[in-house]
Amino acid sequence: MKCLVVDDEGLARQRLARLLCDVEGYEVCGEAASGEQALQQVQQLQPELVLMDIRMPGMDGLEAARHLANLETPPAVVFTTAYGDHALEAFETQAVDYLLKPIHPERLLQALDKARRLSRAQMDKLQDMQAIGKRTHLCARNRGNLELIPVNEVVYLQADSKYVTVCSSTQRILIEESLKSLEQEFGNQFIRVHRNALVAVPAIRGLEKDSDGHCCIVLEGVNERLEVSRRQLPEVRKLIRAGGV
Amino acid sequence: MFQGRSPSRSQNQQETLFLPSFCDIRMVFAVVVIAELLAFVLVLANNRNAPWSELGLVSLFLQWIALSSAAVLCLARPMLAQVSNTAAALTSYLLLLLTTAVISEVAFQMGELGDQLRSTDHAGFLFRNLGISAILSALVLRYLYVQHQWRQKMQAEAQARVQALQARIRPHFLFNSMNSIAALTRSDPVRAELAVQDLSDLFRVSLRDASERVTLEEELDVAHRYLRMESLRLSDRLMVEWDIERLPRKRLVPSLILQPLLENAVYHGIEPLPRGGTISINGRAEGRRISITMLNPRVPDNAEAHRQGNRIALENIRLRLQLAFGEQAGVALRELDDQFETTLYFPREKMQ
Repeated sequence: MKCLVVDDEGLARQRLARLLCDVEGYEVCGEAASGEQALQQVQQLQPELVLMDIRMPGMDGLEAARHLANLETPPAVVFTTAYGDHALEAFETQAVDYLLKPIHPERLLQALDKARRLSRAQMDKLQDMQAIGKRTHLCARNRGNLELIPVNEVVYLQADSKYVTVCSSTQRILIEESLKSLEQEFGNQFIRVHRNALVAVPAIRGLEKDSDGHCCIVLEGVNERLEVSRRQLPEVRKLIRAGGV
Repeated sequence: MFQGRSPSRSQNQQETLFLPSFCDIRMVFAVVVIAELLAFVLVLANNRNAPWSELGLVSLFLQWIALSSAAVLCLARPMLAQVSNTAAALTSYLLLLLTTAVISEVAFQMGELGDQLRSTDHAGFLFRNLGISAILSALVLRYLYVQHQWRQKMQAEAQARVQALQARIRPHFLFNSMNSIAALTRSDPVRAELAVQDLSDLFRVSLRDASERVTLEEELDVAHRYLRMESLRLSDRLMVEWDIERLPRKRLVPSLILQPLLENAVYHGIEPLPRGGTISINGRAEGRRISITMLNPRVPDNAEAHRQGNRIALENIRLRLQLAFGEQAGVALRELDDQFETTLYFPREKMQ
């Protein structure tokens, strides 16, 4: 079975890789030092199992696991952690396996036996936990590949029937999430300008009128102008006047 | 009213005497002010024709008594410190009455001053002064005793809090370090051995009594060992710059005042950064003050957690520094654009 070892600490990766080497039938096909790298490696190397540290800089293990679940054939995930990741308590009942570092070889064997893909219920649990710790990236599946946009590069989010378009100055992806849940998760970074649109506060450059007399918002990094609804206008004005822009 | 003192005399018994030092210039000033207020009260209460000339005279007389009393208590202080607080209170009470009696007698015998002051006969004059002195001295002593008790209670509470808060090394750090060592035992046994030694030393220090003092050199050594452990885990993500040449190595400080701050710096300032960053430690001894400044990257997404984590550590360290050095010591925190700056400061010389 091909395994990917993910940990931001080199020595931790080294030890886990060595433990896996001693187990028959498992091979380490790659290593990654962050959530972002892990997602890249998974798509490149197609491992069946990912052993992933939870606390990592940038995208952490929980978020990476959540994005992985978007893949058509997601790998099984076993979390590793040193201590005090209280998020794991939530997992106790969900039976996603996790290993405490320094990892015992016997425990590793048990975990490898049990390793399965995350179930729907477990994914929901992850989602709940992510609501506490916000995601750093938004993720879409595009022809079997994962496309990621860091949340702080997003300029606007626009809902369109079933999908939400996530737009940065360089990328544009479609995700299957509701604008409402996105607003709840990232409420302090985005402001609603219309029933169908959220705009990143730091990207706002000003307001202008279009030819039909509608009020539109000018955004950094994109050429489109988004319409500001009459209902949201006072709040947007207030934000701009408050010097938040 | 007064608690007996324990028979064992500690070195800082001067601090447990309930009387403040009347040799202190601030205390003398307080005595002068109180005596003057009393003079006002007496003159106002008397309701005579020429209050101003009388005020001058009464003030002179009262200041004479008050300052002599302060001088007597100042001189008697070493002796008072040797006995229990009850005995010290009784002795100082008698001393105050005696001073009043002596000075009243001298004033009575003196010509003009005596003439104006003695509205009654000799015995009446002495009796009146002693009465006032008896009441006021009792009030003042009682006040000082209560204040002393209050201060002691505060100190005991602070001590208890320090014990409870005593900077224990984070479990997160322990288990990650253990994991590093587990990895090193096969790949690099020499470094594994060194790491075990460092980790043991760190834990020995963290298990020590919170009130124990160590030299600054030892404290810096602990910081070195701690950061060496962390760079084992984080390898080139953690860079450290030391500039501590100017620190006096032999100065005694409470133990574990640096390490918890460095731990925060690593936990909140380095670990969340994929590429890591630099922690710089800068020691200065300027004039009468020693300060140690730590700089670490400020991670915007993490600033709130950093502040929270810092608050506990800072509060803890500030308390311990102030217990050790008084108000001249403390911790200051500054948030710069992209860095967190934490500064420890305390007096250079040991306070008396």
